[in-house]
Amino acid sequence: MEEWKPNPTVKPHKKRSWYLAWKYKLMNQRALRKLCQTGAVLFLLVTVIVNIKLILDTRRAAYEEEEESAQDYDDEMLNVEVPRHPVNNKKVLDVEVYSSRSKVYVAVDGTTVLEDEAREQGRGIHVIVLNQATGHVMAKRVFDTYSPHEDEAMVLFLNMVARGRILIFTIKDEGSFHLKDTAKSVLKSLGSQVAPFLSWRDMWTFVGKKGGEVYGEKHAKSPALSTWGDPVLLKTEVHLTSVEDAECHWPDTELNRRRKRFCSKVEGYGSVCSCKDPTPIEFNPDPLKDNKVFDVPVAVIAGNRPNYLYRMLRSLLSAQGVNPQMITVFIDGYYEEPMDVVELFGLSGIQHTPISIKNARVSQHYKASLTATFNLFPDAKFAVVLEEDLDISVDFFSFLSQSIHLLEEDESLYCISAWNDQGYEHTAEDPSLLYRVETMPGLGWVLRKSLYKDELEPKWPTPEKLWDWDMWMRMPEQRKGRECIIPDISRSYHFGIVGLNMNGYFHEAYFKKHKFNTVPNVQLKNVESLRKDAYETEIHRLLGEAEVLDHNKNPCEDSFVPDTEGKVYVMFIKMEQEADFTTWTQLAKCLHIWDLDVRGNHKGLWRLFRKKNHFLVVGVPASPYSSKKPSSVTPIYMEPPAKEEGAVAVPAVAAAEQT
Amino acid sequence: HVVRKFLGLISSHNIPVYLIDPLILGLVNKDIEQIRSSPDGPSPECKYFCAPRDFTTFALLDKTWKHEVGLFRTAEKMGFQWLKIINKDPRLDGMDDLSGMEIPLHYIFKLASHAIHLVVFYERSGNYLWHGPLRLKQHMDRKFVPFRKLHFGRYPGAYEKPELLHVSIDDLKVQIPKNPSSFLEEMSHSRFLECRYREARAFFQLYPDGASLDAVEFRIKAKSLLHLAALTLNNLGVKFWLSSGTCLGWYRQCNVIPHSKDVDLGIFIRDYKAEIIPTFQKAGLPLKHKFGKVEDSLELSFQGEEDVKLDIFFFYEEEDHIWNGGTQAKSGKKFKYFFPKFTLCWTEFVELKVHVPCETLQYVEANYGPDWKVPVKVWDWKSSPSNVQDNGVWPVDEWDNVIQIY
Repeated sequence: MEEWKPNPTVKPHKKRSWYLAWKYKLMNQRALRKLCQTGAVLFLLVTVIVNIKLILDTRRAAYEEEEESAQDYDDEMLNVEVPRHPVNNKKVLDVEVYSSRSKVYVAVDGTTVLEDEAREQGRGIHVIVLNQATGHVMAKRVFDTYSPHEDEAMVLFLNMVARGRILIFTIKDEGSFHLKDTAKSVLKSLGSQVAPFLSWRDMWTFVGKKGGEVYGEKHAKSPALSTWGDPVLLKTEVHLTSVEDAECHWPDTELNRRRKRFCSKVEGYGSVCSCKDPTPIEFNPDPLKDNKVFDVPVAVIAGNRPNYLYRMLRSLLSAQGVNPQMITVFIDGYYEEPMDVVELFGLSGIQHTPISIKNARVSQHYKASLTATFNLFPDAKFAVVLEEDLDISVDFFSFLSQSIHLLEEDESLYCISAWNDQGYEHTAEDPSLLYRVETMPGLGWVLRKSLYKDELEPKWPTPEKLWDWDMWMRMPEQRKGRECIIPDISRSYHFGIVGLNMNGYFHEAYFKKHKFNTVPNVQLKNVESLRKDAYETEIHRLLGEAEVLDHNKNPCEDSFVPDTEGKVYVMFIKMEQEADFTTWTQLAKCLHIWDLDVRGNHKGLWRLFRKKNHFLVVGVPASPYSSKKPSSVTPIYMEPPAKEEGAVAVPAVAAAEQT
Repeated sequence: HVVRKFLGLISSHNIPVYLIDPLILGLVNKDIEQIRSSPDGPSPECKYFCAPRDFTTFALLDKTWKHEVGLFRTAEKMGFQWLKIINKDPRLDGMDDLSGMEIPLHYIFKLASHAIHLVVFYERSGNYLWHGPLRLKQHMDRKFVPFRKLHFGRYPGAYEKPELLHVSIDDLKVQIPKNPSSFLEEMSHSRFLECRYREARAFFQLYPDGASLDAVEFRIKAKSLLHLAALTLNNLGVKFWLSSGTCLGWYRQCNVIPHSKDVDLGIFIRDYKAEIIPTFQKAGLPLKHKFGKVEDSLELSFQGEEDVKLDIFFFYEEEDHIWNGGTQAKSGKKFKYFFPKFTLCWTEFVELKVHVPCETLQYVEANYGPDWKVPVKVWDWKSSPSNVQDNGVWPVDEWDNVIQIY
């Protein structure tokens, strides 16, 4: 990453200093004026309040006492919003766009709407979408087109933006290296003359209307490979259209009002805002017969990834048996756009002032969300916990409806989870099959209220402990030997690529090939056999019926499992004691399943599918099922690769924590 | 007339409201036997709904309806003017730093000179229903209806979940509380106090909560003891309130004070029942000591789980004050604790609907003095309280009765 090194040959920004001084001076004057205005308004407000208080006091003598005591809590009076931009009839926006190696900014009518001079981030093409009638910022994105595939994301985004919107582009540092022809021609079609010829370390700014006129473009060529083009500052004017012209003319229904509110505020959601044929925002999936989870609250834990949230809520609201009234979206932070998404779907949302940092912040957000959920639905015995980067299977609620009674009746259960850590395309087969596992997968799960209220909530890690909530929940002090029920084929799909502990590589390796159920109304098999004792009977039956595989072969090879279908096979691996996962980890690695920590085990037994056969792995001698091993069979031992391990393990474990 | 129209409106939207109008319920209550026995019987005249009044009050359980805007459009078409009063959701108020959407607390539908007051009830933790206060915001029409004549909304209120009865009165099908007289009784003592969450947060900023394992364990034990005590006393029909340290914990920090080591309740001596002791014992709480007697300074103490103890103080009402007594076991000395007169309000504490003195500040100040905001770990019940007075010594021949230690 050579280009990030500070380059001593580049001149400091002296050239711009006169401009900055002038700009800040202007801003100060403006600030002063604004201060005076605000002061005057406040004064007026206070007068009004005093007057109203007087009137109240005299007219509603009966209420006096309460007014006194309630006043502390009544900040309504101070909450009156003072419109920041008095409505004026100005039809022209002044737009300034700046592009340089280390800084970009965009100012609209003197207000900075983008400013990025952070080191080592924000590289690439910044795009801002403005509403053509109001001038409001509807979307802000940055595409690191120095890196591969980001240009595709940009094209996707630009295609989703409605015609008529104002688009503003500016490059920070480098934006051309992986800007392919498709992307260049899209930019060209927007009216850019420079885009097709953009090259290494060029600076570029462009303002235009999608499907319409060009308001300005500036470009500075990089003179040599090792240097950047000179900073460019584009100043231009944009003519606003009438609100009428900027909106679609959908029939006036409650749903379309929500749609209109949404579409006039944000951009980048594609067909939901299409004038001609907008995609529905109400789904009315089939109700479930005898739905046992209709009254179970659903908490959606979200951060500031509104596009993810949008996708997630669509799939959730399309799942059969969903009850939108029970859904609450908990947003970690005062972000507007996620809230806009929540309102688009007519759901309720709650914002949470962030406490602490990183993992501890997520952990505190979880706690607040869970507590609030049980406060809002005091009758509930359970809560479904979802995250914003999950797709929800069409039979998610059906799956829960058929299994939730187990969580109520079987005290040896910790949770029901929709996610099978080992359920990949090549290892999961049976949508009607459930397992008991000693791990807690998360990613769409059901929490018992009594577990939360009596055990977890009082002990929840405090903000100064920088713990992951899920790692904490998995600790033996919390789990106390209890197990979770999971499906063979997951009922959720983890699509998030950007996240606290997530990156593209990690997602590709561990999540992309995860199997996800798309069959509606799956009737679960043998739910009763998931109870504590019944499950042991079931396992013994399975092991009794299982054919022992040839232990002389290499378990990593495909040929280890015969080319059959629907049979049950068992293999025995070495597992000296309960915590010895040496061989398992190597096996998991070569089977290309989750190997970053141990998941999906039940008393030293793993259950998965290979070549459409049920494939059981028993750890000998630690597992109580070792007795099923024929004396002639020697458990397979697989050695971890020498050294190197340490170097790999550190980031791997850190990444594993999130899921 | 208006009520009929309104009922037509809400039934066309499938909204299950029930009648809580005290005036009408009062009238209905007189004929309750007859109404119950013939729920569909025609009534000859308009006996109940035609009683002269400005309002008719109905209740609506929030969770039983979707907030459809359609209702209000239809209402407008029918000629109703309506007003919606929204405010913060108290169920999130206690939560650090959460801000939810505001929730509707009251609706008023006006047609000509009559108005329907629709009170929205919410279920809250502690298995009870809550309705909010009616507070007008600045921009609202203060003359929309004569607000102060409304029967609900001066204070927030807490209610048990009512059993409902479908009846037909004056040829109108409505739901009413199954037992109108007990509902009306409940209504007269329904005032609810929200915990002072904001002050509690400020308190914790000043004195961060020791998250020691002991504190966590004690809170869990104290909560379950309080739940058990509340269940037992409620079953006996004995009214009680949070007293002493438990009351201070609620008022100051909306939580159990972890170093308090016991749970304290108050009961008016007029509500004393002899079954209290055996019932607690049956519930698994052995009597630890009993001081005083019903006529004077009665105080009971039960042993909860491990070292957590439940203290029940009995309060004696006088002309201008209320007091309770204390006894020192080894010396037979008596103490008297004075409180200004107080009434009881509902509140929510550790997921329980319980009583506290409405005049909590005076109560807490009487007990703990003006510095009640500062946590004190060393506390002597004989000398620390600012409202304690020596009250002589028990006669030695009574000791066997008034000083019982187990």
